[in-house]
Amino acid sequence: MIHFKQTQIGYLQTICTINELKLEAGKVYALLGLNGAGKSTLLKSMAAQLALLGGELLLNEYPVAQLRKDAALRARQISFVASHFDGVEHLQVQDYIGLGRLPYANSFGRLSRLDEQEVRQVMELLNIQHLAHKETRALSDGERQMVSLARAFVQDTPILLLDEPASYLDFLNRENLLLSLLSWAKQSNKCVVLSSHDIDLCLEHQLPILALAGGQIHQLLDLPKKEVLSILLKWS
Amino acid sequence: MKRNVLFLVIIALVLLGCSMLHLGLTNVQAANAQAAILFKEFRLPRLLSALVAGAGLSLSGLLMQNLFRNPMAGPYVLGINSGASLTTALFMLGGFPLMAHNFGLVGSALLGAFLAASFMFFVSWRVQQTTGLLLVGLMFASFTGSIESVLQSWASPEQVKQFFLWNMGSLQQLSAAQIPWLLCLFIGAVIWSFLLVKSLNAFVLGSEQAFQLGIRTQRVRIAILAITAILAGSITAFCGPIAFVGLAIPNLGRQLLRTQDHLILILFCLLFGALFLVACDVLLLIGEPYFSLPINVLTSLIGAPYIAYLILRRS
Repeated sequence: MIHFKQTQIGYLQTICTINELKLEAGKVYALLGLNGAGKSTLLKSMAAQLALLGGELLLNEYPVAQLRKDAALRARQISFVASHFDGVEHLQVQDYIGLGRLPYANSFGRLSRLDEQEVRQVMELLNIQHLAHKETRALSDGERQMVSLARAFVQDTPILLLDEPASYLDFLNRENLLLSLLSWAKQSNKCVVLSSHDIDLCLEHQLPILALAGGQIHQLLDLPKKEVLSILLKWS
Repeated sequence: MKRNVLFLVIIALVLLGCSMLHLGLTNVQAANAQAAILFKEFRLPRLLSALVAGAGLSLSGLLMQNLFRNPMAGPYVLGINSGASLTTALFMLGGFPLMAHNFGLVGSALLGAFLAASFMFFVSWRVQQTTGLLLVGLMFASFTGSIESVLQSWASPEQVKQFFLWNMGSLQQLSAAQIPWLLCLFIGAVIWSFLLVKSLNAFVLGSEQAFQLGIRTQRVRIAILAITAILAGSITAFCGPIAFVGLAIPNLGRQLLRTQDHLILILFCLLFGALFLVACDVLLLIGEPYFSLPINVLTSLIGAPYIAYLILRRS
């Protein structure tokens, strides 16, 4: 689903080089790394916001350079959830989630009945129907992150990227968010990558770990926390 | 949604009534033969000025607020009018004979508006806070004002008088011959804005999210700047700088309609902006036998307290 080939990532200088790495559909990958290791930069490159400095990156078979140019195609392949959503004045939750259907809407941004149905279904799936008519400004941090997740779900792309989605959440909301992501990835066969600092949570749910350290990515499976930490720290 | 459509229809009806009243009030006692000329040369241009200026300034305010993601943005406070004013002053007071035509007036105002809009957009990259941005806008306005004063000291008394009258802001300057210029620019800008509705809705979430939702962000940014410059520039050229309409009306729209759907908001700004300025002018017409005020005074009298109220409510 996501295929790195000698991919060089960074703004002006290469922060990290990924020789060969394939991420599969149906899984939730956890991107771990110390502050400044380049997690956000990597996610931005995968979201097609940043151009590669070298090599290749295929997202659902499409080269990232093509997705950078073709806006309509990009919006149907990748969705992105930022670490924090402040809410927008006078923007209601259901309209906010509806914006996720914008790639499928007509040129005036009108949603079809099917789009609206999709929005309702995702709200039910995430159990946030009661928030539909609330203003996004009036939500709690936990609610806001769930609502952002819903917006990404309705965008219905094969690839979903999340930049530290849990950093403002308490442990209960973290658990909720991760469980929703896991079941959605499995049922809809999506490839999810999230960056995180919560090693315990990732290990507890046995997420495949992408450890970003020393300008490289190490894919770790079923390692105890001690070893994960030592790999993250070895290069710093 | 239904409520908002009903609301828009009511505004449209009130606007129609107000426009009729406006035409009735500008009725000048005259013989039938003269009445037709007066209608064409005096009454119609004044009403059209009010309609286009109100609608256009509100729309440009809405677009600026969307682009800057800041409800306090507007063509006046961000110095777009000042830019147009400066180049117009150069043209009026500098006395370029080649430009002594409507084309020169419109062209110079458009150029100034676009340069100012681009400059402010560049500043907004570097200055993220609202206060900083508005301060730069204020400095810019004061700077252009000073240059205009320098120009005035060199110009002939006749030129100074002409510029002074223009700078007061007035709906009576538009001549019948200029109507097609203003209307063409206005209608073009309005159509272009409607084509941007989808992008504007996505921009509400910021340009990063808009990019992920499949918007060509760079292209849309330039389009918004161009539309704003066309609207604010052409209106400033023909009516002088008019304050607070562009800032106040879009905020009122979001507050009343409680939506971020820009199809509805554009319609509201066009209708209510026009209504606001026509109603202001009706007030001026009623008061005309007793006092004579520039339109700017009235829009500021109503607009400034409303904006102050909005800021107080927010904090």
